[in-house]
Parts: sequence; C-alpha cells; structure tokens
Amino acid sequence: MFINGLIYILGETFKGLYRNRWMCITSTGVVVVTLLMLGLFMLVNLNLNHITETVKEEVEIVVYIDEEADRETREELRRKLTEHREVASMEYVSSEEHMERLKRQLGGMLEGYDTALDNPLLSTYEITTVEPETVVRLANEFEQYAGVSDVFYGQGYVEDLFTVTRVIQIIGLALMAGLSVTAVFLISHTIKLTVMMRKREITIMKYVGATNWFIRWPFILEGLFMGFIGAAIPLLMIYYIYELAIEWVIANDLMFLSLLPAEWIITELAKYLVPLGTALGILGSSFSLGRFLRV
Amino acid sequence: MVEAQNLSMKYEKDKSLALENLTFSIDRGEFVFFVGSSGAGKSTLMKLIIREEKPNGGVLKVFGRDVARLPKHRLPFLRRNIGMVFQDFRLMEDRSVYENVAFAMTVIGSSRREIRRRVPHVLGLVGLKDKARAKVTDLSGGEQQRVGLARAIANRPAMIIADEPTGNLDPGTALDIMNLLRSINLRGTTVLVATHNRDIVDQFKKRVLYLDGGRLVGDEQKGIYTHVH
Repeated sequence: MFINGLIYILGETFKGLYRNRWMCITSTGVVVVTLLMLGLFMLVNLNLNHITETVKEEVEIVVYIDEEADRETREELRRKLTEHREVASMEYVSSEEHMERLKRQLGGMLEGYDTALDNPLLSTYEITTVEPETVVRLANEFEQYAGVSDVFYGQGYVEDLFTVTRVIQIIGLALMAGLSVTAVFLISHTIKLTVMMRKREITIMKYVGATNWFIRWPFILEGLFMGFIGAAIPLLMIYYIYELAIEWVIANDLMFLSLLPAEWIITELAKYLVPLGTALGILGSSFSLGRFLRV
Repeated sequence: MVEAQNLSMKYEKDKSLALENLTFSIDRGEFVFFVGSSGAGKSTLMKLIIREEKPNGGVLKVFGRDVARLPKHRLPFLRRNIGMVFQDFRLMEDRSVYENVAFAMTVIGSSRREIRRRVPHVLGLVGLKDKARAKVTDLSGGEQQRVGLARAIANRPAMIIADEPTGNLDPGTALDIMNLLRSINLRGTTVLVATHNRDIVDQFKKRVLYLDGGRLVGDEQKGIYTHVH
C-alpha cells in the first residue's frame, strides 16, 4: 500500500519536472544564482573572519623602554608589567636582538655598519593581553608608566578589517534577501504551472478521497528537487573557484593570507546552502498549492 | 444514510438562498432522483453531501455524521464512501480506461495487487473489459460515462452521487447508463441522481425529490417527473 503510493508520488514528481522542464531550469537557475551569491559572500566572510581572528591573536603591545631610565625605574616597570592581571605573556627584547631581527629582515643591507656601537633601536617588552579587545586601554595605561618611551599596538588594522567584514555582511544579506524572494516567486510560478496543468487530476483526486498530503507530495518534492539541485550546483562551483583561489595565493607567494581549507569551507557552506535551497523550493511549491486544494 | 433538517445554503455572491429549509431523509439502498430546472439547487445539494460546500443553516447528516462539523482531515474518508459521476465525465484524457479506474484506487492507497484484481472486475460490470487499454478520448460519450461509473464504484462506495449523468448522452445511451446505475443499486449501493431527464425519471418509477428555487416542493415514492411537476 505504502510502496504503491510512493511509486505514484515519485512518478508524478518526475513527470511534473519533465513537463515543465524549461520553467524548472529557469527556477533552478535562480536558486543557483541566489545560492552562488550567498555562498561566495559566506566564503569571503568566513575567510575574513579567519584572517581577523588570526590578526587578533597576533595583536600585541610593544612597550619601548626609555634608554635614559635608571636601573631601578626599569626594574619597577618590569615588575608592574609582569604582575599586571590583564597581561597574558611578556617577552623582553633587547636593542641588540632588535638589531639582529632587522639585519635578518633587510638581508645584506646593513653590511659594514658597526651596529654594536651605533644602535638606535630601543629595548622593548612585547606583550600579549588576555583579551585582545583591551589592547587600546592597556596601551594607554602603559604609556603613563615611568621608564616608558613609547607604546605601539596594531589595533587600527583589526578595526578596519572588522568594518570591511561588516559592510560585506550587510551587502550580502540585502542581496540575498532580494534574490531569495525572486527564487521563491519563480519556483512558486513553476509549480503553479504544473498544478494548473494537473487541475483536473487534482479535482478528481479530491473527489475520490485522496488526502491533501497525498496530492501535495509530488509538488513539494518537485520544489524540493529544484531547491536541492539549485544548492548542489553552486557548491560545486564554489569548490572549484576556491581551489583556483588557493592555487593563485600559493603561486603568488601570498601565504600570509591564511585561507581556510577548501574541504572545510565546502562542508560549512553545505550546512547552510542545502537546507536553504530545499527550504526555498518547498516554500515556493507550498505557496502555489493552497488555492487548488480547496475542493 | 442522508438526513437533512431545515437545510439552507446561500452562496456569498448571491442574494437569494440556493437551498431553503430542506428536510428529507434517504435510507440505505434507496434509488433517488433529484429533479428540477436549472438553478433549482440540485447541484448545490450534491456539493453539500460531499462537503464541497458547507451549509449555512440546518443540519445535513451523511452516514450519520453532521458534515458541517466534519474536520477537514476527515473529508477524504467521507468521500471514499461516495462515488461521484459527472455530466462531463471528468476523465483524465491522457490515460487509458484501465489507468483512469486504477487512479481512483491508487490515490486512496490500495495495493497494486488489489488494483490488478478489482479494475478488470469493475470494467466487466460496466461492459468495458475489452477496452481496458483504449485511450478514453477514443471512446464514445456513453463509453466514457461507463468509465466514470467504473471509477465511481472502484472503491466500493456505500453511495453513488450522479450529477446529470446523462446530460451529454443520446437517449439510448442515457438509458444504458441509467440501467447500469440501477444494477449498481440492486447490489445494495445507495444511488442519488440529479437529472433533467424526464423520460428516464418517468420510466424508472423511483423516489423523486422535486426542487424548485432552492425549496423541496415534492417527495414521491415511485414518482413520475410530470406528476411532481
């Protein structure tokens, strides 16, 4: 009994899809475009968030020690920083070490300079904070300590990155909302066309005592199928686009742009796009059925 | 089987009542004609019995249940007990005779085995066993109505409602269809027929309920169209 009904429902689903194949392709196409846009925005967002997080973790306060400060003041500064509750870690870097780092960065450019005698670089404390968000406040606080010449922190970059991420998110959401409405509208019209073509059949079904769900299922499955395919195609497209992007980053030595792995990204996107696509499909078909079931 | 008490019905768009204060009762196994001119309320009454429409006043009980109070999800189960026959046959033209009858069984969840057994049987009852594979569009009007009848009885309903079943048929074919309905009735199925066909009503001498302007103006056992008129 159940199998017979299932065969009927599946048969009708695919017949409906075949009869209105051009409208189905159009509707699925709109879902593809909608979800491709959403997927690309999510892709950019996830990576921006990842980069932001990485940068946030790397944010540190560099406290430059006044070279004229006496031993006692320096000792007092070290004690205050070490004992500060909001300091997670602290590393002393002497002026000599800074010079070594500079030499490494500049390659052979400092060849011939007597850097031991003529070193303009100051010794520093490189501090990471417990909460990255406290960096600005702590930097201002440390600046007031005796024995401090200057304080540097990279908070400005992170704020910019946050702003960019937020703007992209807002644009993405607005575009998505518009495209989703279009997709629901088009799917609903496609299904309506199928329903109109099968109006007589539906009326007969109602007269002989078919339940509303038995009548609905083929149409809902049509919508679901269109939505699912509409989600699967952009996922594949995004996967290949992203693979190309990663290859490009590697080829151009832009490894500092620490991108997330493709497999992880696609799994993450699938979690949202597949349910969203199928939901758009089901929603579209549900909108078009109501009136025809009132027999 | 069907019991109406002060039954009234008014369509939203109309000013007057489509049915007014109808009181009657139909027992199991009866054969009843509903006669009257166009707009008398015959079709409205049929629609109320299968709960396609809801009455505005009074009570209509079908199989002992007040149809107005029947929850929506129970409607299919009411209709599975009623076989419908229409003037315009309402067949699926892209399908064969067999498929049209089998469809009625498929949608209520009958097993394939049961369908394979039952469909040839009902096609035999209406004399279409040899045309099972034919497309319904290749059949004559009378044959198409036979398919409609076969479909109506496929699920073994307790009652058949036929709304102008002979309206599109010539007199000879109309009589064939009515004889089929009579033989279905003889097997115990209640049959309600809404019709304009004076000759058939007079010839059959069954119970006649006469409607005029939405009111029941006559109810005769072994009635004759012209008498009640």
